[in-house]
Amino acid sequence: MSKLQFLIGILLFQFSLLYGQTKEITGKVIDAKDQSPLGGVTITLKGSKGVAQTGTDGTFTIKVSAKATALHLTYIGYENKDVEIDALTGSAVITLQQSSKALSEVVVVGYGKALKKDLTGSISKLASKEIENFPAPSFESAIQGKAPGVVVTSGSGKLGQAIQVSIRGISSISASSQPLYVVDGLPITSTSVSDGTNDDTNPLADINPNDIESVEVLKDASAAAIYGARASNGVVLITTKKGRNGQKTTIELNVSHGVSNPARKLHFLNAKQYVGLMQQSAVNDGTYDFNNQISGYNTVDDAINDYFTSIYQPILDQYSLGTDWRNQAVNTNWQDALYNKNAPNDQINLSATGGNDKTRFFISGFYNTQQAIVINNTFSRYGTRFNIDHNATDKLVFGLNLAIDRSQLNRVTNDDAFSTPGQLVAQLPISPYLDPATGLPNNQTLYPSGIYDALYDYDHQITYRTIGNAYGNYKILPTLSFQSEFGADILNLTENEFAGKESQDGNGVGYGATVISQSVSFNTNNYFTFTPHIGENSKLNAVLGMSYLQNDYQHGYAQGNNYPSDAVKNLSGATSITGASITNTRYTFLSYFLRASYAYKERYLLSLSGRIDGSSRFGPSSKYGVFPAASAGWVISDEDFMKDSKALSFLKLRASYGLTGNSEIGEQQFRSLYTVANYPNLPGFVPTQLANPDLKWEKSRQFDIGLDFGFLKNRLTGEFDFYTKHTTDLLLNTNIPYTTGYASIYRNAGTLDNKGLELALTSKNIDGAFKWTTTINIGYNKNKIGDIKGQIIESADGLQRAVEGQPIGVFYMQKLIGVDPQTGDALYADAQGKPTNDYTQAARMVVGKYTPDYTGGITNTFSYKGFDLSVFFYFVTGNNIYNAAGRFMSDGFYNGWDNQTTDMLKSWKKPGDITNIPRTGYYWGSGTSNSSEWLYKGDYLRLKNLTIGYTFPKSFTSALKISSARFYVSGINLLTFTKYPGDPEVNTNVVNNIAGGEDFYTIPQPKTITFGLNIKF
Amino acid sequence: MKKLIYIFSVLSFILFIAPACNKKLDVLPQNSVTPDQIKTSSDVEALLFGGYELLQNYGAFGEQFMLIPDLLASQNQVDWVGTYYEYGDVQNKVIVSNNSIPQSIWSNGYDIINIANTVLDKLSIVDSADKATVEGEAKFLRGTIYFELVGLFGKPYSDGNASSNLGVPIVLLPTYDYDSTKNKPARAAVTDVYTQVIADLQDAIGKLPSTNANFRADMYSAKAILSRVYLSMGDYTNAATQANDVIESGNFRLTDTYDKAFNNNSNSSEDIFAIQETNQSNVGTNNQGIATFYCPHAGLPAGQPVGRGDAQIDPGYFDYFEPADFRGTFYTQGTSIAGEDGNYTNKWQFFYKAIPVVRLAEMYLTRGEANLMLGGAPIGGVTPLADINMIRQRSGASTLGSVAASDFIDERFRELGFEGDRYWTLRRTKNDIDGLGYDDNALILPIPQREIDVNQNLVQNAGY
Repeated sequence: MSKLQFLIGILLFQFSLLYGQTKEITGKVIDAKDQSPLGGVTITLKGSKGVAQTGTDGTFTIKVSAKATALHLTYIGYENKDVEIDALTGSAVITLQQSSKALSEVVVVGYGKALKKDLTGSISKLASKEIENFPAPSFESAIQGKAPGVVVTSGSGKLGQAIQVSIRGISSISASSQPLYVVDGLPITSTSVSDGTNDDTNPLADINPNDIESVEVLKDASAAAIYGARASNGVVLITTKKGRNGQKTTIELNVSHGVSNPARKLHFLNAKQYVGLMQQSAVNDGTYDFNNQISGYNTVDDAINDYFTSIYQPILDQYSLGTDWRNQAVNTNWQDALYNKNAPNDQINLSATGGNDKTRFFISGFYNTQQAIVINNTFSRYGTRFNIDHNATDKLVFGLNLAIDRSQLNRVTNDDAFSTPGQLVAQLPISPYLDPATGLPNNQTLYPSGIYDALYDYDHQITYRTIGNAYGNYKILPTLSFQSEFGADILNLTENEFAGKESQDGNGVGYGATVISQSVSFNTNNYFTFTPHIGENSKLNAVLGMSYLQNDYQHGYAQGNNYPSDAVKNLSGATSITGASITNTRYTFLSYFLRASYAYKERYLLSLSGRIDGSSRFGPSSKYGVFPAASAGWVISDEDFMKDSKALSFLKLRASYGLTGNSEIGEQQFRSLYTVANYPNLPGFVPTQLANPDLKWEKSRQFDIGLDFGFLKNRLTGEFDFYTKHTTDLLLNTNIPYTTGYASIYRNAGTLDNKGLELALTSKNIDGAFKWTTTINIGYNKNKIGDIKGQIIESADGLQRAVEGQPIGVFYMQKLIGVDPQTGDALYADAQGKPTNDYTQAARMVVGKYTPDYTGGITNTFSYKGFDLSVFFYFVTGNNIYNAAGRFMSDGFYNGWDNQTTDMLKSWKKPGDITNIPRTGYYWGSGTSNSSEWLYKGDYLRLKNLTIGYTFPKSFTSALKISSARFYVSGINLLTFTKYPGDPEVNTNVVNNIAGGEDFYTIPQPKTITFGLNIKF
Repeated sequence: MKKLIYIFSVLSFILFIAPACNKKLDVLPQNSVTPDQIKTSSDVEALLFGGYELLQNYGAFGEQFMLIPDLLASQNQVDWVGTYYEYGDVQNKVIVSNNSIPQSIWSNGYDIINIANTVLDKLSIVDSADKATVEGEAKFLRGTIYFELVGLFGKPYSDGNASSNLGVPIVLLPTYDYDSTKNKPARAAVTDVYTQVIADLQDAIGKLPSTNANFRADMYSAKAILSRVYLSMGDYTNAATQANDVIESGNFRLTDTYDKAFNNNSNSSEDIFAIQETNQSNVGTNNQGIATFYCPHAGLPAGQPVGRGDAQIDPGYFDYFEPADFRGTFYTQGTSIAGEDGNYTNKWQFFYKAIPVVRLAEMYLTRGEANLMLGGAPIGGVTPLADINMIRQRSGASTLGSVAASDFIDERFRELGFEGDRYWTLRRTKNDIDGLGYDDNALILPIPQREIDVNQNLVQNAGY
């Protein structure tokens, strides 16, 4: 500014003072609750023109003419306020109340924030209080049942396992159907990088749930399309906690201790029942043999006796180790041996947050250790977070969000291993737990005892994770800012495995392996945000930018055997190296994105967004994809004709349509590849992959229509959505004839549809000293596979498949239609639907599905004085569960001498018995191969969480010089209602599109009781 | 103005970074090669060697080419006591069309055939000095695989309808792109597959050297397999001739004792062709591979790696042996992983050992039997009685004074038990197998259902 301008300014100022009768008001705007200054509050005048904004310290200055009567204050997330000018004296302090209306909350969207009221897309927001202090390693467990349309499936009670999250149904067959996870703007590694021969683990467990401020789930195309090619499965935005301007430094301590036990178990025979079923089976075998004149016995009794003494009795003699099985001298409950009693978990979390107009911060440190309900499985981690924002000038803000942690997961083998504790249930109840001869754990069990693996083996997975994102934001113009972000997600995992000589997996010589994995993502986002003033009634917010993501993944292993002794457990003790390898892969994404949101009179809303994505995952002809979306909203309740409605306080209709993509098929799928072959002295290549240079993005066209509403002064608020998601150009791993020398090729073929309804309701039933709030959310999804060109895509075990016209992952197997009352034979439906007892003639057909129809949750919260109570039920309906271990644990000895489930006591025994469980028998048993015999309805209702808390009165806490203190007791999975005989929340396949809902000696979910204390200083 | 400069510089930053990133979208594979990187003679040889690795696979000579025929002809030989029901179903002849075993045999077989076809297609790049050998090996691989496939998926040649019975599709061209996968080959007649097998093995014999490095196939490998082919066709003259050529080559000699023919680090003196293994290249030690199933889980000396022990010797097998016959004692008592006590052949008791595919002992038995069937002057000038006694004497069995065709069938069982021979022998001699007629529908594997699903030109075997 030149001196001249300055002088003119002063002159004009004085002139206006003299002749305009204006005066200047100065003041400060603060939060009513914590007195922190509020920066960026817009102040307009009533009865006159004029506008001002508060600075970062909350102060403002505004010139008011005589005509002005009041100040009108508006601020995102706060109630509007009018202040009479006459009432103001001197330097005014104006307090603003945080808005309690759910509809005016702020939600995080891709590359920005928005007022919920202005949203035209479908976004579910979960606040920190839903996520904090939940006794599970990863935050997804805490959001289960809290957001409609978001189905969270934790595969077992093992800790640290991958968790399947499907948003609005499974929208892919061969590509991943897991959402994209973005932490503070940085897309992070969310798929397992651990030892591929064991279950997938969960890299999201490296995020401390207590650091999370909010989780936003972007569900429809309008919300997600700005993430373009990776948005088909929805996007989960995780925002970590930040300090606020003028916030007094608050130190918060969370401590909790809990214990876990299995929520629900299968029931197995005791020694007496086992011997009884053996005797019955000998009767069955002998009778069958005699009746069919197989061995030529003279009498049926001879046959039965011979079968018992020559087949069954030796087994009882052998495995009872000389104990008296006839009188149940031993009655071992092997199931007890696989669970910890009252497995403890402990958490401690300490954080500090605060800030002023220059600098805001959040720092935290945590330690968490947890034992699984299953033996030998523990998870522990510790880490810190440091989030800082600094205003360098009025225009430049920069900051950093940085988290570092270390986690250690001690694992057990996967469900399909004799060594896994889950398979201990197969051991015989007549087998003593300790060998009477040695006093050591019995190693002469039917199957190799997993107890030996528990004693001598380990699998320790240690992860170091650093997730950091630095940003700078420069306000070029008051209406235009530029943000640049650079972030890195560094995941470094080492897994050391050892199996001692005595154990099953040690094979008598000892086995060891080391796995290393490094996944390093580098990401930059650079974008402009433009918010021009375009008239009194119009609001425009536009975002334009680019992003580049590069991920380098290195995975290696070395394994060996022949250890001199169990004393050296490192791989250095393996005198014979049996394999070693390192592989490297990289993928890159280069993207441009745009979003423009326009509001007219805050009533008519329009938003357009789009993204152009280029990726290394596709060939030269189809590197780039374009993903546009449009949406509109109409706040009906603001219309004049609705304004006077007493009952209706808010009503918004919104609709969106757009295109999103999916590219999660791994790297280099479009090329032909020859891979290294290792034959002694003849290093070679084998063809492993056939090229499809035209491979391109899988696309989902999504339509969403929604209604947001509030009744009775928003006592009852809710959202209702209907959506359709039509996925085309499926990235289908299509089978091709083996005669080509290849098994399959990725092609863009086929379609898949998801349709659904979502409803979320919040009702403040009673709102006084006693408060009662009910929250209900329900999601319905119908999945249907369209034309997949006649392809049949099966799960690895062949029991499930993708079938045209059916939902994904139907169970496809022989159907048991009954048991012949005369013979006890299992009767299956043949191709004509007629009963047959010949399994090879039974037709395979669709008998069920693992995907649910309805899922949802109902939460009731009550509070009175210092007490609070929350009761959360979760339900799933319409799905099936297949007990794939049924052919061993419920087959009546045909496939082995495994201990049996108690329902086998109801099996067929003699002609005339009406039962649905076929004849048992090691030789002539029936119903012994996979069929719907072991398929169950998977519907369940679960008391997922019950929490009782007590907040100590102020008088008490201030005496202790603390600002607040709350004590709580929380129970997880306390009650379960289901027809499935075991735990209904199991999936041995962990994360898979086609295979799901299968129980195979899978560890049930834990029932956990936690005691916790939350103190703020 | 200043603000415009800001905007301009930021925009140009974005525009600058974008083209730089654009190149970043071209990421080359780091762990594999693309076909255009097969440029030299040694690259083509590397592909050929890949074929050997697949021959070592459990879907071929690593396990199933022996174990599956033996389970099909299990009577008095082998009992499956394991928990893998796919194998139990084979023994019980209740195989369903989506059983994983036919699938692994079929898919691995055609993978090898595709490698052979690719190598043959690229012969022009191979150095002239190596060309004949590479061509011969590729044809040896292809002919051997077609022979195994037609035997397991087709009716026996001996049933007289070989020209109308369905064998397997004959594919002689490599697959380079998706378009060529649209060709859906139908099953060729058994005779047509045999014609292809003989042509490939004859070509291989013509091209291969009499010895080859690193236990790669040589001329006698091809001759030995060809003798099997002819024997299965009942072409005794050619069977005896090929076997005789191998015997008379002088390249092989019977091991002093029977046990020395097995569990060697590389070929024994009587191995005409064998699969090599090391601790880093092997057929599997946990869930697949021949030793995994035949090696007991408990009962071995301490420090010896254990297997699953799912395949036990049927007690009836011992009835075939005189007490003095060493072969009847070549077993170990042990326990399976599922807790079943039983006896285990010592042939497949160690991991990482060479797996004999064809041994000299078989050549003697083939020559002897073929000569016996032919009558007249024996090919090779050695009598059938001398041939059979040569094999018997090594193991301490009594010397026979006369010999009949059935003696050869039994002798092959004693000598070649658990090596996958019984099934072939009983089929060509039209003897019942596990209580079923030699050409019963249940004795051949189903075409994998998954293959029929993608190739409607394939006709399923009767009974599936």
